[in-house]
Amino acid sequence: MLIKQKEELMSLYTETYKHTNRSGRKNYLYLILVMAATDFKVKYDNSALGYLWSLLKPLLMFGTLYLVFSVFVRWNVENYKLYLLLGIILWNFLAEVTLNSMVLLEGKAPIIKKIYFPRWIIVVASSLTSLLTLLLNIVVFFFFFIFSGTPFHPSALLLVLYLIELYVLSVGIALLLCALYPKFRDIHHIWEVFVQLGFWATPIIYPISIVAQKYHKFIFLNPMARIIQGSRQAIIGPPGDFVGVANHLIIILTAAAFFLVGLRLFNKLSHSFAEDL
Amino acid sequence: MITLEQVNKVFHLPHDRKITLRQRFVSVFQKNTYERLYALRDINLNVKQGEFLGVIGKNGSGKSTLLKLIARVLEPTSGRISVKANVAPFLELGVGFQWDSTVKDNIFLYGALLGMSRKEIADKYNWIIEFSGIERFVDAKLKNLSSGMQVRLGFSITVSVDTPILLVDEVLAVGDIDFQQKCYDSFKSFKKNGRTIVFVSHDLNAVETFCDRVVLLENGIVRGIAAPLSILEEYRRQF
Repeated sequence: MLIKQKEELMSLYTETYKHTNRSGRKNYLYLILVMAATDFKVKYDNSALGYLWSLLKPLLMFGTLYLVFSVFVRWNVENYKLYLLLGIILWNFLAEVTLNSMVLLEGKAPIIKKIYFPRWIIVVASSLTSLLTLLLNIVVFFFFFIFSGTPFHPSALLLVLYLIELYVLSVGIALLLCALYPKFRDIHHIWEVFVQLGFWATPIIYPISIVAQKYHKFIFLNPMARIIQGSRQAIIGPPGDFVGVANHLIIILTAAAFFLVGLRLFNKLSHSFAEDL
Repeated sequence: MITLEQVNKVFHLPHDRKITLRQRFVSVFQKNTYERLYALRDINLNVKQGEFLGVIGKNGSGKSTLLKLIARVLEPTSGRISVKANVAPFLELGVGFQWDSTVKDNIFLYGALLGMSRKEIADKYNWIIEFSGIERFVDAKLKNLSSGMQVRLGFSITVSVDTPILLVDEVLAVGDIDFQQKCYDSFKSFKKNGRTIVFVSHDLNAVETFCDRVVLLENGIVRGIAAPLSILEEYRRQF
């Protein structure tokens, strides 16, 4: 009797299932936009300053760190203000996309349990809100840039490329984390610690020159360090290695790897989201 | 339209559910104990286009699981499910709403989830508001609406989409008499328009009135598929 039951179970698991659904719609763009708009409204609706918060947050963080590291501690960096602001803006984007996507996934549980739609749409929609914030922050950065009187180099246009790399990398990590989140909830806390750790392990507030040369290769294992260092060299100067093709190639390969692994894992595990969330 | 071949769905209900790494780490040496719940066993089902199929059975017999599988919200443990057209699901008393958003935003979000474009939703917007009877509350947060209003809104959005297949689970239990009457009227027009409908209900009168065929489920097994009269007779005999 027992053996029979076991056999029955085994056959249950080894058989494959197939769900064919000829979906007539291909236009997910509108869904992504509506979802992003709803999240954006919900996020800022209940605060007095509303949408301004998305701008104020990085600026306040910048103000604090600037006060500490240019008044109390002095680095010998030209244009430290711009250097710091750009680093914070780029890092904040990664932190926001990856952490928010898990929160939003949890918040979407009622919808996930009721209706089928490709689950990656949640991650992409949540990244759009952060992308808007990022672009607004970049505008603010260029205000500072113009006021500082730093000469404009054509290489600053490379920022667009760095932003695309940053976006792909961030969404890739977000997909990876969201895939695991329903089964391992504390990945959110673990990642929070990682984001803190990464903030200090990346040359954001300190110049890379204060780090001993032998540690550089470890620091630049981190693609964020390469993105931030590269965009600084491209916009603020002085020019250096991180504007070059080799650096872009390394970043693109890393970002693409995160994205593909993240998407694969996400698509695999998202089948059971309705049961796990 | 909808075909299920040897579909099984097994739920694992852990005695002590571990959802964090810490819990898993602490209990690596403990045996993972859980109940296997055979929600559906070896289901074969074929729903033709334009058919109004009723699903009845006691609580826990697998009715809702069946609808969720067809809606693709759940994946079967084994077997094949093929659905040949777009589906608008209305599962277990409501739809997935964004509770902190306004009624208006929810209509657009849920419409988009069901595959409508901006224009389609805008065209149907007034109809949805009127059908659900919540004209005064379009700018209210959804969480502040009564449960009856929420269900009415959800049902209205779901049926406003022109998907060929409609899945309806227990809609009539919450609405008042007026709304039930509206639902019945709309069922009649769906039938006339040739939409395929799978209808889960405990309201045996409604099942008898509308359904072409009825599935009787018992503990996840199909007890019978036949015309309403004979199935309902068998079901009533159980009591």
